[in-house]
Amino acid sequence: MVRVVIKNLTKKFGEVVAVKNLNLEIEEKEFFILLGPSGCGKSTALLCVAGLLKPDEGEIWIDDKLVTAPEQDVYVSPQEREVAMVFQDYALYPHMTVFQNIAFPLEIRKKSKSEIEKRVKTTAELLGISQLQDRKPRQLSGGQRQRVALGRAIVREPKIFLMDEPLANLDAKLRVRMRVELKKLHQKLGTTTVYVTHDQVEAMSLGDRVAVLKDGILQQVDTPRELYDAPKNTFVAGFIGSPPMNMIEGNLAEKNEILVIDLGVTMFEPPSWMEKKMKEAKESKVILGFRPENTTLAKKCQKNAIEANVDMLELIGRELHVHLTVGECSFVAITTPTEDVKVGENVWMMLDEKKSHIFDGRTGERLI
Amino acid sequence: MKFPKPRRILLYILLILFAFAFVLPFWTGFTTSLKTKRDVIYTTPVEPPPSLTLEPWIEAFNIMEKPLFNSLIFTLLATIFSCIIGSINGYVLSKIRFKGSDLVFLFFSIGIFIPYQTVLIPLVLTMSRLRLYNTIEGLILAHTAYGIPICTLLFRNSYKEIPDSLIMAAKTDGAGTWAIYRRILLPLSSAPFVVAGVFQFTSIWNDFLFGLVLARGSEALPASVALANLKGTTTAFWNVQMAGALWYALPVIIVYLILGKYLVKGYMAGAVKG
Repeated sequence: MVRVVIKNLTKKFGEVVAVKNLNLEIEEKEFFILLGPSGCGKSTALLCVAGLLKPDEGEIWIDDKLVTAPEQDVYVSPQEREVAMVFQDYALYPHMTVFQNIAFPLEIRKKSKSEIEKRVKTTAELLGISQLQDRKPRQLSGGQRQRVALGRAIVREPKIFLMDEPLANLDAKLRVRMRVELKKLHQKLGTTTVYVTHDQVEAMSLGDRVAVLKDGILQQVDTPRELYDAPKNTFVAGFIGSPPMNMIEGNLAEKNEILVIDLGVTMFEPPSWMEKKMKEAKESKVILGFRPENTTLAKKCQKNAIEANVDMLELIGRELHVHLTVGECSFVAITTPTEDVKVGENVWMMLDEKKSHIFDGRTGERLI
Repeated sequence: MKFPKPRRILLYILLILFAFAFVLPFWTGFTTSLKTKRDVIYTTPVEPPPSLTLEPWIEAFNIMEKPLFNSLIFTLLATIFSCIIGSINGYVLSKIRFKGSDLVFLFFSIGIFIPYQTVLIPLVLTMSRLRLYNTIEGLILAHTAYGIPICTLLFRNSYKEIPDSLIMAAKTDGAGTWAIYRRILLPLSSAPFVVAGVFQFTSIWNDFLFGLVLARGSEALPASVALANLKGTTTAFWNVQMAGALWYALPVIIVYLILGKYLVKGYMAGAVKG
């Protein structure tokens, strides 16, 4: 099967560096996600893999074949890369029927008529679009168009699928459904897939591994679980999870000979296992981070609790999101809908110390 | 029935007046072309002919038959050639892009604004060196070359509206440069082909200057020049001239009747994102 290796990839558009020194190893059969906010370079990286963009530096290997290496003057055209791509706007050929759209890559490869018919039929059945074969793209709904675009990619049995935000144009409900179908499809076909998205929920649910990018620079590559539980820095911590991780700045200080974090509003006394690590920190400035679901609210003052004012309540089905403010900072705590809190009252928020993180205040790197 | 508002009525009156002014020359030409030489003198041009005659139409056709045929040949061929070349240029300049493609496009655009008169002498010299002076082929070449800039502009702007992802999809699907043009862009080009085609047909058909200087003899004489020659040197046979003018106008009218509604669609295409 097929691996993709990206080494030191850099792509500039004039003065703007879209991707900077990117290194990735995508394993065979993997569903690999490139995640990041818009303009982070994730689509650029994908287009470089497809051969639709020529990078300025670096190497791209598909299987054991070097397909892009500007320094060595190696460039394999997208036509010869055996990669299939699905685009955000589906990019269906408007003048062709569904059948013709799916058959196009086969026709270009001069396959026999009977083979084309057979393969298009199998693909259409797999995606449940057999009854649409004579329609033109404009007569299809968004979800149907998406399936046709997938069909056009699948029918060729390419080495790799490249997908550039394929679900972004669908409405919320359909997106969730197509997400599940994509996952199933991948399990069935087992084709190595590189998938670009800005939606962290999509990334978490689809990806075997996720690469998080920011401003063209790779932040972290990990399984969704690891990204969530052990984000490498404040950016990943804030990007993954909805609502995002709560973060509060503080200073390391000493109180009665134990190391504490002066959060301004309160002194946070970390447990002893944290202390050891914290002593390694070079800076006194740190950021305390904790997920909204790893909090409990209390009506009375508790040790290590942060006193906060209830700003707003959001009841989201089975959870209650409590928005809190402490001075300049605001937090979200997730509790059960039965929690007795009222807007305007003061509560004490306790953190699950085991699941809290401390980041370097200057670099944003996670210390604990 | 609802009675129209006064402003509406005023508008209609105004429109009718404009339409009348617009149709009047055509009407006088039409009536005059059906009059005998005597009636032309004794009636005003707007009056309908006292006795109908088709004599001027036949006479004009006898004189203009060959030139009309000449014009039809070189107009059709030059229109087709300039549209095809313009379409390929438009594809390259909008979708392939290369270093300096914007500069090349700028040169094409400048080409649109070069007046015919400035190139007359070099054009005649070139054509005579190529041994194409006074031939239909020469006229085809001149009109094709002169039509390429405007056709390139029309096709390039039209192709700009086609999303790049379509081209990228075709590339990853395995289609090469030529296959992308033939299989994807060309089938989506009916609107620019109608616009460029009608534009080229009318401007080449109506051209007088190139025809006058590139075809002196009768062999390749275009209809526009033949029509001017109907004027005569001493006496003016208005009825024959008018019939000739109507013969001359006929092909363009037919083109508009057939393609008019597509033309409006073509002009509007891209104005609103569909």
